[in-house]
Order: sequence, then structure tokens, then C-alpha cells
Amino acid sequence: MTTSEPELDIRPEIDAAQRAVLARWASPGAWWTGAERLGIVAETRRALAASDVPPPWVAASTLARPAPAVASLPAAAVDVVWRLTHHPGTLTADWYASVIDRGLGPGPYTELVGLVAQVNCVDRFAEALGLAPLDLPEPVSGEPNRAVPDEVAVRRHWVPTAPVKGPNVLRALSAVPFENESRAMLSDAQYVPAAALLGDLESGRGALTRPQIELVAARTSVRNECFY
Amino acid sequence: MAAVVGTGDGGVAHGLLLARLVDAMFEREPDALAAVRDEVVERMGGAALVDAVAVSANFHMMTRIADGTGTPIDEGTAAMSEQIRAEIGVDGYVSRHGS
Repeated sequence: MTTSEPELDIRPEIDAAQRAVLARWASPGAWWTGAERLGIVAETRRALAASDVPPPWVAASTLARPAPAVASLPAAAVDVVWRLTHHPGTLTADWYASVIDRGLGPGPYTELVGLVAQVNCVDRFAEALGLAPLDLPEPVSGEPNRAVPDEVAVRRHWVPTAPVKGPNVLRALSAVPFENESRAMLSDAQYVPAAALLGDLESGRGALTRPQIELVAARTSVRNECFY
Repeated sequence: MAAVVGTGDGGVAHGLLLARLVDAMFEREPDALAAVRDEVVERMGGAALVDAVAVSANFHMMTRIADGTGTPIDEGTAAMSEQIRAEIGVDGYVSRHGS
């Protein structure tokens, strides 16, 4: 990791988690190949780097831009990448239904959401510290496993979920366990380990107290206009 | 609550400064981000800067997962958080899915 502020001391577990997740981006998922997943990552990075962000009602795929990083990336996937990166608080059930109607199945869509969200985490971390984005690995060959956990069904979320325990947001990616594991790896390192989430409201993490941690979390959610 | 809406420390040490760091991360204006980063390092130390950025980055991920999947607020939380939601002003958010 290169930095313009070499005095920064990044906790080893954060660096380890981010590098492990990067390797997982390059692996085949449940619905996308390793190359397609890295294409989604590249498209998310392109969205993050854009100086001319389209408003939420304009689909990025309709604009005159260079072709997506991976030619086979469906236009609907490109639109999800840009909308989720720049306007997450504007998403509605009707919008989700329209994406599914364009041929992106609920499984591929959920995996896509997980990936885009992880890239927003890892790359915004680097950007905020004045660091270069981490280099991407080469794609791992192989086909998606198309595995669907038992008893996956649409329940309270738009997307199908598995009947796992925990807060609704931790169930959101349960239909794509590989992405839920990546999410947990980042959250455990960067926020609070899941085991301490509700059981220990006193202890801090690293250099921050728990109230400071929760303030940063709440303020970030407010700025993203996230009701949850 | 003041720190969450960016108007004061809210009883949290360096609360307003941390809220300004979150805002700078959200706005992504390089000069403003560098300035608040330097202030956090000076007043709280480099480790606090890294940890605060890590938490905020994590919630850039979690908000996108919640909003992208139509995650509803948890049962039991809705009533408990009614007053807080009113104070923060989140009830009008488009992202109020099925809650």
C-alpha cells in the first residue's frame, strides 16, 4: 500500500482483511466469473473516479462513455454500479423490480450489490487517507457455482434471503454467503466484531471509544440518507 | 445527537471534528479532506484518523447493502427509535423501505 502520508499506522487486521477481500473479488462467485467480478470492481472504480456523475434518474449505460471495463457486463449491471455508488438513498422497490425485469436475476443482483458495496468501503478508505487504491489481482478461472442456500425466499427484503439469525442488514446478503463473508471480514476489522456488536457496548476499538465509533457510523448513515 | 447532525460534539470527545471528517469523506473534495485529516491527526493522533476512516468506510458499505437490498428496519427498533428518527430527520428518506 503506497501512501502520501507514510506516518499513518494502519491496524494490521484492517490491511489483512482488505487484501483478503480483494483476492475474493477475483474468484468466481455464485453468479459471476472472476473476470466479471473484477469488471464490476473496475466499473465501480470508474464510477467513483467520475467527475461528471449523472443524476439518479439518468441511467449511466445510456450516456456516451467508453465501454464498460468488461464488455460482457450487462447494461443493467452498469446502471446498478453507478446508482448504488452515487445515489444509494434514492433506491426504491420499483427501481429494483425494473432492474430484475431487465434480466438481472435476484441472485446476480444481490452478489453485485455486495461487490459494489465492498469496493465503496475499501476504495473510500484509501481515498480518505490519501492512499492509492489497492492493486487488483488477476482473475481466478472457473465458473460460478450457482449455489443457493436452503430455504432462500423473499421475506422482508426486496431480495431473497436465507432464514439466518441477526439484524436485517446482516441477513441482506444471506442468499450469497460468499459476499456475506466478505462483508463480515471488512466489518469485523474496520468497525466492531459481530460478537461484540450488541453484547459489549462499552469497549472501544483501536484509538476510538465506542461512542466515537457509533457517532462516525451514524453520521455516515445520515449523509448517505440511509433510513436503516 | 448534535454530533450526528453535525451541530456539536453531542457529549462525545471530538464529536464535531469526527462529524466533519465524515462529511469530508462523503463530499470527497480533496483539499477539504486533507485539511480535516490534518486536524484529526493533530488533535486525536494518526491512529484515531485511520480508525475513524475505517468505520466510516465500513458504513459506506453497509448503507449500500441496506439500500440496495431493501432492508427494512428491525422489528423492535422502529418504536424504540421513533424520537431519535424525528430528531435526525430520517423519516422522509426515500430509503424508508417497508418500515
